[in-house]
Order: sequence, then C-alpha cells, then structure tokens
Amino acid sequence: MRDALQAVLGPVSEPVLLAGGASKEAWAVDAGGERLLVRRAAGGVIHRHTLSLRDEFAVLEAAYEAGVKAPRPVTYIADLDGREAFAMERLDGETIGRRIVQKPELEAARAALPHQLAEELAKIHAIDAARVPFLTAAQLERMVDELDEFGEPHPAIELGLWWLRENRPPERPLVVNHGDYRIGNVVVDEHGLVGILDWEFAHLDDPVRDLGFGLVRAWRFGVDDKRLGGIADVEPYLERYNELTGFDVRSEELDYWELAGNVAWAIGCLTQAQRHLRGQERSVELAILGRLGAEVEYEICHLLEKAAA
Amino acid sequence: MSERPTAQELTEAIAEFLGGEILPTITDHRLRFRTLVAMNALGIVHRELDALPPEDDSARRELARRIRAGEVTPKTLEQVKADVEARLRIASPRHLERYENGRAE
Repeated sequence: MRDALQAVLGPVSEPVLLAGGASKEAWAVDAGGERLLVRRAAGGVIHRHTLSLRDEFAVLEAAYEAGVKAPRPVTYIADLDGREAFAMERLDGETIGRRIVQKPELEAARAALPHQLAEELAKIHAIDAARVPFLTAAQLERMVDELDEFGEPHPAIELGLWWLRENRPPERPLVVNHGDYRIGNVVVDEHGLVGILDWEFAHLDDPVRDLGFGLVRAWRFGVDDKRLGGIADVEPYLERYNELTGFDVRSEELDYWELAGNVAWAIGCLTQAQRHLRGQERSVELAILGRLGAEVEYEICHLLEKAAA
Repeated sequence: MSERPTAQELTEAIAEFLGGEILPTITDHRLRFRTLVAMNALGIVHRELDALPPEDDSARRELARRIRAGEVTPKTLEQVKADVEARLRIASPRHLERYENGRAE
C-alpha cells in the first residue's frame, strides 16, 4: 500500500488502516507534511444507491469549492493497488456520536452546532446541480422496492410509507442533498463544527429531506429530549436555515421529513442485516441491526401517534 | 419465518465472531479453553433451535398486506404498535422502558 501511494502522492509515511469493511477501507497517511485520509474500495459488494468513489470525490470537490466545511479533496486515484480510491485532508476532532452529545468539554460546541449545521446545509443546498450531473433524484417508491426485496412483513414501515404518501407536502424544487446529514457524520472540536464527512449518499431531493434527517431519534445517541441530534432543540437550527435560504420551511414539513428519515433508516437497518445474511459482509454488528430496526419502527408509531393527535 | 436474523442465525453470527475474531487473539490457555466451551454451548442452542417449529407470522403478513393495499382504519396504528412492542420486548426491552419513562416530550 505504501508503494502504491508513493507512486501517486510522492514520499508518504507508513499507511495505517483505520477502518476496513467489506466495501470500503480508510487509511491514515502523511504526505508532504499533510495529514491525509485515503478512502479505498475494498472489493466487496457496494451498497446500492451509494456513489462510486469517483463520484463521491466529485461531490466533495463541488462542496469544498462552494465553501462547505469539508475535508479538502486532494486527488482521485483510479487504480490504487487494483482498486479505486481518493485522498482527502484528515480532519482533527471528534466524530463518535455518543461522545459528541455527552462529553462535558464539548458543551460550547453543542451550543454552536445548531447554527453551524444550518449554515453548512444552506451552502450544500446552494451547490449548482449542473456541477454534479451524475446525481439522481430519490423517490419514495425506491424505499418500497427495497422493502419488497427482503420479503419480510413490517407493518410499521408499511404504515409509515402509507402516511408519507397520503400527507406529502407541496413539492419543493430539488436541490443537492448530502443524504446522510447528521451527528455521526460530522467532525466536531471544542469550538463546534470542523467538517462534514461521508458524501456517498448524496443525491437530488427536497431540501427539507436533508434538514429533517438529523432529527431521527437514532441519531440522538441516547439524549432523546434534544431533537436535533441529541444536542439541541430544533427551532434555532430551523430559523437559521430559513434565514439563509429564504425557503420558509414550516415545522410541519420538518415533522414529515423526520418521519421519512425514520422510515428510511428502518429500511436501512434491514438492508444492513441483509448484507450479513447474504454473505456480502458477515458481521454481528450488521446482523443485529435486523432486530434493532424494531426500535426505529417504534419511533415511527410514536411519530404517527403525534401526527394524529 | 418473519424476524431476520432468526434466533438461529444470530447464534451463527456470534459463533463466527467468537471463532474468527476473538479466539485468535486469546493467548491465555484457560480463557481459550473456556471460549471453546462457550462456542460448544452455542452449538447446542443452534441445534436445539433447529428442532423448533418456525414462528407463525401470518397475522403480521396480513396486517402488512392490508396497509399496503390502503386498508387503513383508525384501529390500524394500535395494532401495528402492539406488534412492534411485542418484537421490542425480545429485541430491546430497555429501549421500550426509555420511552415509557421519558414520555414528557
């Protein structure tokens, strides 16, 4: 790996494997006095509906050019020891969700994050879609197709999908969505937001889809009463976003997309378990998500009760 | 068979984890031996589950089918929630308690 990297980046330190699943690897390496992170395909089956590393790199470039706080993209590598990869800046800070919502030394960061998250999202949603022409629009129907592939009955997901069809808010023009905008995919230090990571689920969608995804209870990491990712109430975040975009998003719209986010993640849990069951990536962590998805289904019921009240 | 992974599939995942990731890291002989015994015990559970009849999920299938067909009544949410609660009592009982304690919001 070191030789392969040196061929592209010049002299580098010994690369350290930080994470390696069946589909992607992450390597930490220093080159030319810069701390880099190399994301590389791992040969296994990649998720459907995720971007190739080439496209993910292009989205990161577009975001960085638009002034979004994100790791500086360094270079795309079509063939790094037989597989595609890209190098980007390695940001310093905390990424583990549970620590971000709990650590006492990150209290000031939690106070700053609602406005910062709104500001970065406003910039992402202003990215010119023509800059990333390979992005496609997500559809509610795609979630139904995914669910049908599993052949398991999930009445709560069905009821969530039914409600989403029946109560669709007026359509907004599609914008570039990050696709997984939440605590757990951001780097935070004691001052707040350092950068937005994980662009592989980027697609075109209603802007409120991104705005509401971070409210999903699973991303509150145990601090359930703070609706925005376990760090704060929603109102300052929503107000700042509206101020910057002029979109005038109503709180009922946010409620709708919070439910949609829960439905998407409930299906996501089943998808992850299928990766294990189909032998694409054998892992207890993936397997148990098939059962823990019931937690998300319970939240769907809870939100439907609130909507009916 | 409705809930995936099934109990049996979960024992397989645990056995693979113990055998593939934990066992190779254990150098202490006694711990190694006890881990192998634990894997044997897991094998017993796996075979015993083999002998059980599969779960009857016809009611859940029917409920899902009716909702998909748009047959939703004021009672439907109640039925769906009861079904999820029953599954959560197995999969994550503490999660259920957290909701019951934190009803405030």
